[in-house]
Amino acid sequence: MAYIVSPNPHIHAKVSTRSLMLDVIIALCPAAVVSFLFYGLSEIAIMAFSVASCVFLEWVVNRYMLHRASSTGDLSAVVTGILLAMNLPPSTPLWVVFIGAVVAIGVAKMTFGGIGQNIWNPAITGRVFLLVSFPAIMTDWTIPAGGLIGNVDAFSGATLLQQVGLLGAKAADAMVGLETLFSNMGGSAGEISALALLAGWVYLLVRKVIKPWITLSIFATVALVAGIFHAIDPAQFTGALFNLLTGGVILGACFMATDYVTSPMSAWGGVIFGVGIGILVMMIRYFGSYPEGMSFAILIMNTAVPLIDRAFHQKKFGRA
Amino acid sequence: MAKTTFAIGGVHPDDSKLARACAIEVLPLPSVVYVSMAQHLGAPAKPVVSVGDKVLTGQVIAEPGGFISAFVHSPASGTVKAIAPFKDLAGREVPHIIIDVEGDEWVEGVDLSDTLITELPDREVILDRVKACGVVGLGGATFPTHVKLNPAPGSKADCLILNGAECEPYLTSDYRIMLERTKEILVGAALMQKALGGCRTVIGIEENKPEAIAAMRSALASLPYSGIEILPLKKKYPQGGEKQIIQAVMHREVGSGALPISVGAVVQNVGTSLAVYEAVQKNKPLITNILTVTGNCLPVEKQHNYLFRIGMPLSYIAEYAGGIPKGAAKIVSGGPMMGRAISNMEAATVKGTSSILYLSEESTRRKLESNCIRCGRCAEACPMGLEPFLLRRLWKAGDMEALEANAVQDCIECGCCLYSCPACIPLLDHIRQAKGAVLGAIRARAAAAKAAAEANQKNS
Amino acid sequence: MNPIIIWTVVILAGLGLVLALVLFLVARRFRVEEDPRIDLVEKTLPGANCGGCGYAGCHAFADSAVKASDLSAHYCPVGGNDVMQKVSDILGFKMEAKAPQVAVVRCNGSCTARPVINEYDGAASCRVKAALYAGDTACPFGCLGCGDCVAACEFGALSMDPATGLPVVDEAKCVACGKCVAACPKSLIELRNKGPRGIRVFVACRNTDKGPVARKACSNACIGCGLCVKACAHDAITLENNLAYVDFTKCKLCRKCVAACPTGAVHGVNFPKEVNNG
Repeated sequence: MAYIVSPNPHIHAKVSTRSLMLDVIIALCPAAVVSFLFYGLSEIAIMAFSVASCVFLEWVVNRYMLHRASSTGDLSAVVTGILLAMNLPPSTPLWVVFIGAVVAIGVAKMTFGGIGQNIWNPAITGRVFLLVSFPAIMTDWTIPAGGLIGNVDAFSGATLLQQVGLLGAKAADAMVGLETLFSNMGGSAGEISALALLAGWVYLLVRKVIKPWITLSIFATVALVAGIFHAIDPAQFTGALFNLLTGGVILGACFMATDYVTSPMSAWGGVIFGVGIGILVMMIRYFGSYPEGMSFAILIMNTAVPLIDRAFHQKKFGRA
Repeated sequence: MAKTTFAIGGVHPDDSKLARACAIEVLPLPSVVYVSMAQHLGAPAKPVVSVGDKVLTGQVIAEPGGFISAFVHSPASGTVKAIAPFKDLAGREVPHIIIDVEGDEWVEGVDLSDTLITELPDREVILDRVKACGVVGLGGATFPTHVKLNPAPGSKADCLILNGAECEPYLTSDYRIMLERTKEILVGAALMQKALGGCRTVIGIEENKPEAIAAMRSALASLPYSGIEILPLKKKYPQGGEKQIIQAVMHREVGSGALPISVGAVVQNVGTSLAVYEAVQKNKPLITNILTVTGNCLPVEKQHNYLFRIGMPLSYIAEYAGGIPKGAAKIVSGGPMMGRAISNMEAATVKGTSSILYLSEESTRRKLESNCIRCGRCAEACPMGLEPFLLRRLWKAGDMEALEANAVQDCIECGCCLYSCPACIPLLDHIRQAKGAVLGAIRARAAAAKAAAEANQKNS
Repeated sequence: MNPIIIWTVVILAGLGLVLALVLFLVARRFRVEEDPRIDLVEKTLPGANCGGCGYAGCHAFADSAVKASDLSAHYCPVGGNDVMQKVSDILGFKMEAKAPQVAVVRCNGSCTARPVINEYDGAASCRVKAALYAGDTACPFGCLGCGDCVAACEFGALSMDPATGLPVVDEAKCVACGKCVAACPKSLIELRNKGPRGIRVFVACRNTDKGPVARKACSNACIGCGLCVKACAHDAITLENNLAYVDFTKCKLCRKCVAACPTGAVHGVNFPKEVNNG
């Protein structure tokens, strides 16, 4: 019998790209279930279609364009599909979802060489493309009928962040209360329940899939920047709690900014990355033309990751 | 006392000490032994016998081939059949002395009794006997022990660390001797302590071996030595790495490229301590050691801890233990993290052999390599604080300067990076190459600088 | 017209003008004076930057050639005699023609001739494999089959033959840069004179074990029997360490050695078909 010969080590930890992605999928489940409960069948359809499109597109690109073995088994396309669906309004038509998937997988991920090679987070790139291309659809927060719980009438129309423009900062701040933790008003499908998202994040921490530094530094920076501006002029600038709980900050900080591929590898690099996102998102919200800035903030900081990685190295043994 | 461990990195593989309950058995001699001349780090030994000579067990058959080298003794009595190249476990030819075994008649002056001798001879006697008996480090590197026990003038040992961590999964040979030869190990520790000028001595044992810790503690109480302590360590691989155990015990970091003695540490394995005891107190040369026959495809009743003689073919031991099990896909000599895969079972045991490990296909075959997902697990696992993903990239790009700047030469080849990589990228395979190239460049630079300095001196 | 458009155009044009001026001044200020012949020589070279000449690239070669007192240390294997003639003309040196060479793989231990005795499962790199152990066949001298030479070739002239597990040189593409020679940890690749119409004879084996050992490991191995040495009338074959070697400067391509070899280790390639049959 021909025995195997290889250099050491001869055993391997029970971890694979697939197992890590599976953990992320599990962590996204609570938020996904909440969105199904609120928006009903149409949201289930959007998510299923988004996941199917992403997986299909990755398979097509591998098979017919790159002529190499399929990489869909690592489940990363499934994660992208779920995140893309969570970043879209619940009334998005399926053809728009498909375009988003084409941009996310085809452009943002596979053109760079597939998993691990992309510069920008695929799901966010897809979302931003749609936001810029179809602004009307992407800001139509009409709630489709069929939600299982919640007062549907109260939700239609603008999101909380848009209401800042309509009602003013003070009124908007007043609308954020404890109930926002459980069910935010309209917005992207995945943002409804802060608690469900945080539960998934804690799961990822417990499973040691991610480190908390990026997420915590985003939260801290958003709170700090918002707190300072709010203290200066409460009439113009919304407060810390409002900004933390709205507009995908939690979804972005827990699941998008922590994407391995597009975030720095060192702990301190992660902190810088998080602070950068926090500052950018607040600047876009306060002074930019988009009410929500998380996607842009993450994409901009994604671009800076190679530089951050260059600057921060971990401490080496026996060296100053 | 709180359990300690090293600070950076490390992994926690399942310890799989399947043969921990198996008492040490003595292997009978085979009909032929193949004694390697390269059983230690450094220059190969030079044979001092010729073909046709009659040799006795324990007789010197080869002498050191350089300053860092060691004596080799005959593991059996018989006739020298040949002095010829013989393939080692990697299939490479190494000079061997091949002896037809006729019996087990020992040379004179060796005490073969079990009596424990606790009186310590003079320092010079200790060092002489350790050298004459060919004792080398049995923790893996097989560095000649007498060199380590005799630090260069100007450096002084503050602490002798006895490494009983046995952090590699599966291996139980150190564990068994700590249970069965407890007092001998402690006397050996006292001998080395004396050789080093009476420094503090710490025996570090990982917490997954509570019986060994207890046995050591009670034996220590019954012996008249001072300055020796038993220190339980947290279970973490690679605790047994020299720099790692020094940090765990002394909280000092050995600098890059520096020797342990630079922070006042000398590290010896517990197996070495036993060999030192036998060499000094019994005048018994190092021709035996303990190996574990184990693996995840071997039933527990077929697992063994054997006292073997050097020069026994691995195939002979495997056969004696009941043959190679059916499910074995890879046979490893040493632990699963740092051991070497055996491609030639006809190769013979050497002083440092510690196991024959049978691993199943499922546990050992490498999974298909995929793209790096930048998870950073390799950097987190590296006990030297290196960034394996970066080193591999730099090696592929051929950037030797950046490799050196990123300390590839500090790699201890423990395997933590590849072990923990979810994409199964052969990080260590490439980093080892890069390390070799960078170390070569550093050595060439040093040699050039030395030559230039000498030339300068001549001119002036 | 809309004043915004006018202002935009004016500002952008002004910005462009200022930046162009800065660029011009910087280029002026930091200009490096260089022997113009370096540029000329570099333009003559193939521009592959392969390093086959022993210099870091075509520019380094040109730079060094211009400073040299003759061209004995400079030869571009990619460009060959034509390019070197041009370089010599530019620099006013006498050109020394060299016989064109080609990479030759000196192992013919195909999968069938050299059975696998264990399964290598490490990184797909000959260097890693060679550092680890003697190899996955009984011949410790033979090709490891991981394709380091293929990866090293920048001209696409090497490929692994899946049928034999050995690398194959595409003679039309090979420029004899020597990258593969350096890449092979078993030193199996040699640069040999291409020969007239590519006809050449060589021993495709590096095994220095004694005959029976070599034969047991690989049925195509050179067993050091010396029959080829006896067959050669031109003193071109030497036998050292149980291994024959054909000196291509002496070989007259008579192919008596090819016929004499009992294991087929001596190869004659590119001989016309009809001669082969006869």
